[in-house]
Amino acid sequence: MWESASDGLTYLLSQSGESLFRLFWFVIVFEFPRYTLSFLSVAAIAGYTAPGSRRSSPLGTVTAVIAGHNEEDSIERCVLSLHEQSCPPDEIIVVSDGSTDRMPQKLRELQDRGLIKEGHCTQVRSGKSAAVNLALARATGDFVVNVDCDCTFDRHALKNIIAPLADPRVGAVSGNILVRNARDNLITAFQGIEYLITISQGKQAADLTDQVSCVSGAFGAFRRKAWEGVGGLDAGGGEDLDVTLSLRKAGWKTVFAPNALCYTDVPDTLAALVRQRFRWERDAVRLRYRKHRDMLDPFSPRFSWQEVLHEFDFLIFNIGAAIIFPIYILWLFTTYGDLALIILMGAQAGMMVLDSATFALSALVTPRVNALRLAPYVPGYSLFNGFVMRFVRLGAYLEEWILEASYGDTYVPQKVHRVRR
Amino acid sequence: MSVVRSFNVASNAHATGKRPALGRRVLVAEDSPITQDLLKLLLNQRGHEVDVAADGEQALAALRQQRYDVALLDFHLPKLDGLQVATIIRSEAGEHPVPRLIAITADMEGLLSQPKGGETFDQLLPKPLDIYDVAQVVEDQAEIAAWEAEARETEAAPEPTAPQRVHALESARDRRSHFEDLGYNFLTWPGDIDLGHLSARAMQASLGDPRFDGILIKTAVAIEDLSSIWNEKALYLLPIIDLTGKLGHIADFDGSRLTALESNQLDEVLRRFQDRRAHLHRDLQFSSDAAEKLVGRMFVTNKPLTPRYDPSSKWLVSYDVALDAAVVAREAESLCERGLLRHEFYDRFHVCPRCDSLRLHVREECAQCHSSNLEEQQYLHHFRCAYQGPEENFRRGDRLVCPKCRYELTHFGFDYDRPGSMVVCDACGHAASDPAVGFMCVDCGTHVDGDVASVRDVYAYFLTEQGTGFAELGHSLLGTASRALRFADLPLELVVALNAAAKKYNDLQQPFTLINIYYQNEREVVAEQGARAFGKVRDLFVENIRAALGDGALVVKGQSRDFALLQGVGPSQAKGEFDLVMVQAANSLRFDIGASFQAFGPEDFA
Repeated sequence: MWESASDGLTYLLSQSGESLFRLFWFVIVFEFPRYTLSFLSVAAIAGYTAPGSRRSSPLGTVTAVIAGHNEEDSIERCVLSLHEQSCPPDEIIVVSDGSTDRMPQKLRELQDRGLIKEGHCTQVRSGKSAAVNLALARATGDFVVNVDCDCTFDRHALKNIIAPLADPRVGAVSGNILVRNARDNLITAFQGIEYLITISQGKQAADLTDQVSCVSGAFGAFRRKAWEGVGGLDAGGGEDLDVTLSLRKAGWKTVFAPNALCYTDVPDTLAALVRQRFRWERDAVRLRYRKHRDMLDPFSPRFSWQEVLHEFDFLIFNIGAAIIFPIYILWLFTTYGDLALIILMGAQAGMMVLDSATFALSALVTPRVNALRLAPYVPGYSLFNGFVMRFVRLGAYLEEWILEASYGDTYVPQKVHRVRR
Repeated sequence: MSVVRSFNVASNAHATGKRPALGRRVLVAEDSPITQDLLKLLLNQRGHEVDVAADGEQALAALRQQRYDVALLDFHLPKLDGLQVATIIRSEAGEHPVPRLIAITADMEGLLSQPKGGETFDQLLPKPLDIYDVAQVVEDQAEIAAWEAEARETEAAPEPTAPQRVHALESARDRRSHFEDLGYNFLTWPGDIDLGHLSARAMQASLGDPRFDGILIKTAVAIEDLSSIWNEKALYLLPIIDLTGKLGHIADFDGSRLTALESNQLDEVLRRFQDRRAHLHRDLQFSSDAAEKLVGRMFVTNKPLTPRYDPSSKWLVSYDVALDAAVVAREAESLCERGLLRHEFYDRFHVCPRCDSLRLHVREECAQCHSSNLEEQQYLHHFRCAYQGPEENFRRGDRLVCPKCRYELTHFGFDYDRPGSMVVCDACGHAASDPAVGFMCVDCGTHVDGDVASVRDVYAYFLTEQGTGFAELGHSLLGTASRALRFADLPLELVVALNAAAKKYNDLQQPFTLINIYYQNEREVVAEQGARAFGKVRDLFVENIRAALGDGALVVKGQSRDFALLQGVGPSQAKGEFDLVMVQAANSLRFDIGASFQAFGPEDFA
C-alpha cells in the first residue's frame, strides 16, 4: 500500500501542466473558478466600505415581523433580543401560525407587557408565507424586517441591515447569518464553516457583482413598498429565494449587509441536515427552473444578463458539479485503475489547501466571529463537503427532477401544495 | 390607699367616652347596712351627694322633703316596700317631675309579678349588685332626668323660637303606624332614634332595659344613617322591623306587607330576640367596640352574617345587618383572626384602585387605547398565492376575489379557508387576536386593566364555638391577658372585707392576699356533664377550700370566679400555701374543673 502510494506520488509529481489538467479537470473546471472569485472579492472588500453603514439618523420607521409555528419556547427570547438592539424596531408584529402549543398565550402575555405591538394567532396552519403576509398587511413601518423565531441578533444588526435601504434603488437586504451551535458536534462545526464561507464571504462577493439572489428568510429587511409590490411572499417552500427573484425581476436591487449579524441553530444530526438540504435544493431547482424560468429565456421581456450570471453560477457550480462528479470518479477509475485513488487524494489535498485559504479569507472579512475555534475542522469540512454534501445535492436534484418531491413537502400545508403554482 | 379609690380607676377606664359625671343628688333606700355603706362610699367617691334611708317610710319622707335626681329603692324594704314608695311618689307628683326611680332587688320575678311592677320604675337592677353597674346606671339615669328637665323648659318656651327640626320630628312622630298599637314597646325611626338624636325612651333602651321590643323603621333610610343605632350601647341588639319594605334583608323583619294574621310571626321574632338577648353577656351588651358588638348581634340573631348582591352598595353586597358592608368585613375579619368568627367564601370582586368601589363595568377593549369600539374581522387565506388578510379585502359584491392575484375564490377548503380572526379597534386601528379585558369604575370613572385590577374576596361569617362562648361569658373567656382582676366582678361582701383589710394594712402594716380562682375547664365540663354537675363540683371545691383555710380566711363565691381573702400573709408566701390547698381540694372531685388562681397583694391595689 505504501509502495503504491509513493508510486502514485512520484507519478503525480512527474506530470506536466497539460497532463495535470487531464487528471484534475473536474477540480479546475468546477471548483477553481469559485476560489478565484473569492480571492478577487476579498481583495476588493479590503478597500470597500458599506454605503451608509455609519449613518445614524433614522431613515424611516421599522417593523419587525415574526412568523412561527409552535415556538412557545423561543419567541420570548427572540422578541427580547430585538428590544436589546442599539436601534430597536418601532413595532413588532408576531403571527402564530396555527400553533398547538402555548404560543398564543405567550403572545398575549408579550402584548400585555408591551413588548410586541400585535400578536395574531390562526387556528389552523396556513404556512410561513401566509403568516408573514398577514403580518405584512398589519405593518406600518417604511421598512419591514423579517426574522425567524430561533434567531438572536447582534446589538447593531438591525441598524446595519436597514442602512443599505438608504439607497432608494435597494428593495431588500440580506442579513449575515452565523451558526450559534457550531461547537455542539462535528456536523454543526462543518455547517459553521460552511455558513462562514457561503454566506458571510460568498454573499459579500456576490454583493460586489450585484448577484445577491437570496435574501435569507431568517433575517432579511425589505422596503415595504417593494415587498407589497410583489405581493409579499408566495405560497410554497424556498419563499426567501422566491421573493428575492421576484424583487429582482421587478427591478429592485438586492444587497447583502455583512455587518448585520444574526445567529441561528443549525441541524445537529446528519439525518436532519440531509432533510433540510433536500428541501433547500429541491426548492431552488423548482423556483429557478420552473417558476422563474422566464429569467433564463432570452426572448422574455424580463430577461437580463444580471440574472443570467447567478443562474449560470447555480447551474454550473451547483447542479453541474453535482452531476459531473460521479462521472469524473468513474472515468478516473476506468482510465487509471488503482492510481485513481491516489489521484483523488491528490485532488482532495489540493481542495483542502484551497478550502483553508478560503476559510482564512472568510474569517478575515467577518472579524466579529471567532473563526479560529473552527479552524481545526476545516480539513474535515473539505472532505465532508466534497463527498457527502455533493451526493446529497445530487440526490435532491434528481428527486425533484423526477418526482417533483417539493410538492409533497411537509414544510408547507398539504392544502397549499394542492393548488399552488 | 383605699380599695374604693382603686375601684374608681378601674370604673373610669370602663366608662370610656363618657364625660365625667356631674355631682347628683341620690337617695339610697336599703335595709342592709353593708350595702348601704358600700353604695354610699361608691357614689360619694364618684362625686354624688348621697342620703340613706333604712326603710320605706324614711325613704318616702326623704323623697317628699328633698329634690333628688335619682332614687335607688330596694324592693323588699321594711314598713313600705320599694314599689309602694314609688307608686305613692308618682301619684303625688302628678304632672310634676319625679326623680328617676331605680329598683334594686334579688327577687326580680316577685317585682315583675306585681301589677305595674316593672313600669313604675325607670330601671330595674338585679341583686347581687354589680358595683360597676350601679354607678353607671345612676349616672345615666341622672342624665336622662337632666335631659327631660331641659326638654320641658324648651316646650314651655314661646312657640316661634322652636327650631324647624323639631317640627319635622313632631310630624313624623304623629304618623302612627298600626304596629305601634299592637301592644309592643317599640322605638321608632324617626321619633325615638334619628340622625344624632335619641329620645329619652331610646336612651333608656340603650341602657339595656329589657322592656323594649324592637325598632320600627317608618321612613326610608340609608344604611349608613342606621349607624346611629350601632353607636349606642345595647340598642344594636334590638330587632329592626322595616315598615318601608326597602331595607330588604338588612332588616330583621319586613313589616311592610304584614297582615293581621301574620302578627304571630312578628311575635316569634321579637320573642326570639328577647330570649337570646337575655343570654348575652353584659360585656358585649354594653361594649363600645364595633367588633364585639358584631359578635353580640350575631349571637342574638342566631344567624350567620350572609352577604347578598346589592347593586346600590359600593361593595355590591350588603350583609343582613344594619351596617355598611365595608365595616362588617373589616370588623368580621379582625374577629376571624381572634378566632371568634370563621369565614366562608362567597364571591370574588375586582376593586377600583382609586375609590375602592366594586361597581366596575367589564368591557372587551383595545389593548392600546382602551376603547371598547371593537370589531371582529375574520381573515381568509388564499392557498394559491399565500395572501392572508381580512375578509373585506376579498369582497367584491357577493364574490370573493383575492386582492393579490385577482383569482376568484370559489371553493372553501380548496381555494381558501378561514384560519382565524382578529379584533380591530375602530378608534385607533390597533388589532390583536383577542380583545383585552378592562374595567371602568362606575363610581369614579377610573379605568383599570383586567389583569392588574386587584381582587377582593367577600365572605359569609359564622360564629365559632369560641365566639359563642365569648357572647355568653364575656371577657373572662378570652385568654389570661384578660384575666386581670376587675372590681366589677367582685361580690359586695368581698369588697367590704377588702376595704377593711386595706385599712388594717394602712394602719398596722398587716399584709393580706386576695386569691382569685378561675376554672379553665368550665366550658368543657359544662358541655359534657351539664351546668348543674359543674355547679355541684364547684360548690364542693369551694367548700373544701373553706374547710382547709379555716376561720382566718374569707372564702366568697363569685359569678364566674371564686375568691379567698387571706389575712396576715403577703402574696408570695400565700401562693405556695394555697397551691397545696388547691391540690388537696381538687383531689376528691369527680372531674377536673381546671381550677387555677392568681394572687394579689396590697401593692396590687395601690
